Amino acid sequence: MSDTLLDGGTLAEGCHPTTEINATVNGRKVQRTVPNHYRVIDFVREELKLTGNKEGCGAGECGTCSMFVDGKLIKSCLAPVQKINGCSVETIDDLDRDAGMSLLQQAFHKSGASQCGYCIPGMVMAATSTLRRNPGASRDEIKEGLGGNICRCTGYQKILDAVELARDIQSGAIPASALEEDAEAHSFIGQRTRRLDAPAKVTGAIKYAADMFMPNMLHMQVVRSPHPHARIVRIDAEAARAIPGVECILTCDDVPGVDNFGVFIEDQPTLARGVVRYVGEAVVAVAAETLDIARAAVAAIHVEYEKLPSLFDPHAAMQHGVVQLHAFAQNNICKHTRIRKGDVDAALATADVIVEQTYDTQSIEHAYLEPEAGLAYLEADGCVTVQSPSQNITHHRHMLARILGRPINKVRMIMSTVGGGFGGKEDMIYQGMLALAAIKTRRPVRYVFTREESIKVSAKRHPFNIRYTMGLKRDGRIVATKMVMVADGGAYALSTPGVMNKSAILGPGPYDIANVWVDSIGVYTNNTPSGAFRAFGAFQSEFATECHLDLCAQHLGMDPVALRRINLMRDGATTHTRQQLDRVLAVECLEAAIKAAGWEPGVPYRQGQGSPQRNDFNYEGSRQSYLIGGQTQPLVPRAASRSDMHPV
Amino acid sequence: MKHRGRGVACGWYGIARTAAMDRAAVWVELDDGGTVKIATGVTEIGEGVLTGLCQIAAQEMGVRPEDIVLGDNDTARVPEAAHAGATRMTYMIGNAVALGCREAFGRFRTAMGAYWGVSAESVRAFAGQVWAEGSASKRMSMEHAVHVLKKERGIVIVGSGLFTSAHTALNPENGEATPWQSYVFGAQVAEVEVDDDTGEVQVLGVWAAHDVGRVVNPQQVEGQIEGSVVMAVGHALMEEYVQHNGITTTPGFAKYILPTALDIPHVTSVLLTEPDPKTPLGVKGIGEPAITPTAAAIINAIYDAVGVRMTRLPATPERVMEALVDRRSAKQPDEVPVAETIS
Repeated sequence: MSDTLLDGGTLAEGCHPTTEINATVNGRKVQRTVPNHYRVIDFVREELKLTGNKEGCGAGECGTCSMFVDGKLIKSCLAPVQKINGCSVETIDDLDRDAGMSLLQQAFHKSGASQCGYCIPGMVMAATSTLRRNPGASRDEIKEGLGGNICRCTGYQKILDAVELARDIQSGAIPASALEEDAEAHSFIGQRTRRLDAPAKVTGAIKYAADMFMPNMLHMQVVRSPHPHARIVRIDAEAARAIPGVECILTCDDVPGVDNFGVFIEDQPTLARGVVRYVGEAVVAVAAETLDIARAAVAAIHVEYEKLPSLFDPHAAMQHGVVQLHAFAQNNICKHTRIRKGDVDAALATADVIVEQTYDTQSIEHAYLEPEAGLAYLEADGCVTVQSPSQNITHHRHMLARILGRPINKVRMIMSTVGGGFGGKEDMIYQGMLALAAIKTRRPVRYVFTREESIKVSAKRHPFNIRYTMGLKRDGRIVATKMVMVADGGAYALSTPGVMNKSAILGPGPYDIANVWVDSIGVYTNNTPSGAFRAFGAFQSEFATECHLDLCAQHLGMDPVALRRINLMRDGATTHTRQQLDRVLAVECLEAAIKAAGWEPGVPYRQGQGSPQRNDFNYEGSRQSYLIGGQTQPLVPRAASRSDMHPV
Repeated sequence: MKHRGRGVACGWYGIARTAAMDRAAVWVELDDGGTVKIATGVTEIGEGVLTGLCQIAAQEMGVRPEDIVLGDNDTARVPEAAHAGATRMTYMIGNAVALGCREAFGRFRTAMGAYWGVSAESVRAFAGQVWAEGSASKRMSMEHAVHVLKKERGIVIVGSGLFTSAHTALNPENGEATPWQSYVFGAQVAEVEVDDDTGEVQVLGVWAAHDVGRVVNPQQVEGQIEGSVVMAVGHALMEEYVQHNGITTTPGFAKYILPTALDIPHVTSVLLTEPDPKTPLGVKGIGEPAITPTAAAIINAIYDAVGVRMTRLPATPERVMEALVDRRSAKQPDEVPVAETIS
């Protein structure tokens, strides 16, 4: 190992002492000189361009970077590159040893164990390690073996199924033919066709945006606001501009067109324009020859701010006299959606029981395993192309053409393989900066977020405060529902108007209710912007409704299933927005769920009222509880995780 | 001591977009080798729709899923299919693919009927084989059929499909609207075990029944339900993005806690497969609907187990313990602790 200092003394900014690494990687000898601070993941991905293993968190928490070093599974984002000097490294890229797919990889393919695929390289490595150590591992032992790996898509069930399948084929308990495609039926629609992208995902061959390299490519880093609300007084980038290898420094002044974007309301600039409204808002973007130089440039940029009063509570933000975050949004209200159906007050007067309660849901991170990343470049015809895991290339192209002041056919968006989205990749929070830098430098520019950056900057699920009033008859019939919901939309609108709409339309639930009053209010604050997240608005509002119905069942002394059965929408129902439905399978779903679960009717927490304990535990489909400090009963053997199909 | 409980919750969800008339377009070409090119402007976000689209196209065109090539995800090369989200992929793009393939296959039948001298209606195809119904001799591979149509007739079979979903915006005063064409209903039961010494909650089982329409690929549907349930286990019990004066205190996965393989319940999926009556394919979607009931079912199960109502998410061990301690100190353990009742 040798350290090399340029000019025998001080190093230029963004340059680092280097170290020589000799190792065997996937059976091939490699000898490379890399920066001293490289981790094993940097060496494998950036130096050797073996991009099968991903970086998900950089902190050893998610496991997608897991590799073998001398046969031992390590999290390569935590290991300094010097650790592999003289060692043998196995990555996902050649785990199959040129055989196509290993047995485990084939089992992942067959079982539908990969979805977005970003965690899968680490999962396959951890599963390989588990079965190498213990070829007869039980399901719980497999869970322990995979316990250091996070998957956000699959719910792990099919991953566990896959490892069990591989184990059983390896032991001879199941024939290898179980890996083959199911026999052709009369129709391909309805078949458990194996995922066509799975072979590329289980072997790490598929490319996500951060896996792409182009010749002469620059690297982007971004100066972000440390303040929740402040005026930008001055940006001093002179020192950064002087660093060799810094090719481009962008501020809002470099945006040629109409500079705003947003899913519903276009209220956010590509780079902060005069004011920052949340911690993490992009202020200056840098493109440089190396990531290290770009980071050094970011550190050398000085932004002077004048702090402004900040709002963190949506209720407080609606009060008169507080600071206004956007000129067009009176009382900081981004969106107020109303449902008014029937006469709620009159109906409540006829109710036998009125139940009130307040519910709070939290701000939630999408935590897709792939942090945001993108690559922008110019094409021969002058078109600027952005490849990124964008969930809405159509809308992004429209907005980007306007931001860049270009005809729409000179802007091209390509949706790269998405490593999980859940709504969090609908916002065009970095593609504009990339396109600008590519146009300005006429070179490809890549930007890869760190996990911390992704969490700090990207949208969250809206936290809701929900005041609930429900009036019911003694027999359980709901006569009126009133919901007043206030949600923290954060600094920019993103999907807030849509979220408020969905929470209002769906919030009162799939129930036939004559009298409905809903106020759903999304408010601007100086928190991280809230945006689209799987079942946005509905998750929060329906959570409140379904908890509230349980509370009502408790009050009425009813079985919570029976209470729902009385009120659920039927064929021909009218919704809360007075839409006439035709076929409605709400009751059929409820009956199917309780049949599958073997539900025993009764009042919630019946043992607390002196009634006998419920007797429907240990039913097929429940797992054994872990033995942490107590005895548990063995359960009925679990059924395979194949769904029960019910033509109605 | 550990206590078990069970909770139930229902859910519903409108599918396709609410913000605008939703639409998706597709181009189709029956290609050499009996393969099929499908071009549409969106790719998947992991749910498996590309495989599903290949199954749909294979069925409609009479070839196999592996014969399909999807040219996707590029605003400059393929027609608009709008965005990847809103439980709209199978519903919007699946139907657009079916319509585009039906147009192409209609042309193929006409051309093959003319070639064989039979009626277009009698031309059938499945899994790469083409035949004329009622004829023993008129049968060939799709590969050969494409070859003869090109070489002998100069015909390239192409088609396009457009699927649009009806929608009206909300009346700003009373919310009156038809926000979506189709709805997906569902219900889930959760079983939990609560440790009243630590406040820890384990979710042991979830039984999930959803009205998913005609199923294209049951494995992918289960994958969406299982993934939704486990995401909601995280939402219900552990996940919270926290900020202090606008600065996050949960900047990484060491502080922002996510479910791992050790935290998951066993999930049993029940699929109600009645076709949606309003679309050509009868498909619906399940990416989002499946997450709506789970958290409430878990919270209701916690009440059923130990008699405390958690009204603030997530129900962390600290919060469950706090609620249990409050209930014990109230000395009337079975009185309704939080709700105000007027009767």
